[in-house]
Amino acid sequence: MNNLDTTFAALADPTRRAILARLAKGDASVMELGEPFEMSQPAISKHLKVLERAGLISRGRDAQRRPCHLEAIPLRDATDYLERYRLQWEERFVALDNVLEDLKRSKPKRKRTP
Amino acid sequence: MTLKILDGAPNEIVMERDFNAPRALVHRAMTEPALVKRWQGNSCSELTTVEIDARPGGTYRYVYKNRDGSSFSFAGTYREVGEARTVYAEKFNDMPDEAVVTTTLTENAGKTTMRVVMAFSSAEIRNMVVKTGMAEGAAESYDNLATLLAT
Repeated sequence: MNNLDTTFAALADPTRRAILARLAKGDASVMELGEPFEMSQPAISKHLKVLERAGLISRGRDAQRRPCHLEAIPLRDATDYLERYRLQWEERFVALDNVLEDLKRSKPKRKRTP
Repeated sequence: MTLKILDGAPNEIVMERDFNAPRALVHRAMTEPALVKRWQGNSCSELTTVEIDARPGGTYRYVYKNRDGSSFSFAGTYREVGEARTVYAEKFNDMPDEAVVTTTLTENAGKTTMRVVMAFSSAEIRNMVVKTGMAEGAAESYDNLATLLAT
């Protein structure tokens, strides 16, 4: 069972999100993952460890390359939470759209002075 | 006009959405109780009490009632109030932790972009908020939203 807090924390970093985006296109080695970033291999490895601990990636057995693989389910769980949270607010804001339409239709009203 | 959740610090939730109305109206709809009451509730929880004293140092209180009869509240104190920028410190159910919520409204050609930054006291609390938001009955929200969008 993956701890969602760990997943959220892992996703909070832009480099790690970029790594996941790269892995969504296919498995890659540490060296390949490091290329687009101006970052040392140990720095990349550190990010990979965070992602691995969060269950977001797994590492292959090939001792030389140890290719990284995106684990889609924990990522989906975390984004589902955010998506559902977003939809709750979206429901409110759609209602706010309607309020604004009514306000635009009614005459411009000055704030009442007490 | 979709609500976007943007990248922020680990303790933040950042949202952005456009509204097809001038900024002054959006600000009014967010600070006049009678107007707030019309949009702040949702299908899971009805907004039953709205008290707003929108000025620096003024307080506000929203009480929501769930379908099962239980209730919860958001209450806080305004630090800044303006059409361009409003800042308040908010407590959920009068718990000691405060979130600082900054709302900026930018008007462009009669439309308004709203950006809301909610800064919680820790990343753990931020994540809890995201998760609890979902537990309130997301399936119903989906249905209700679909209904709203279809009309």
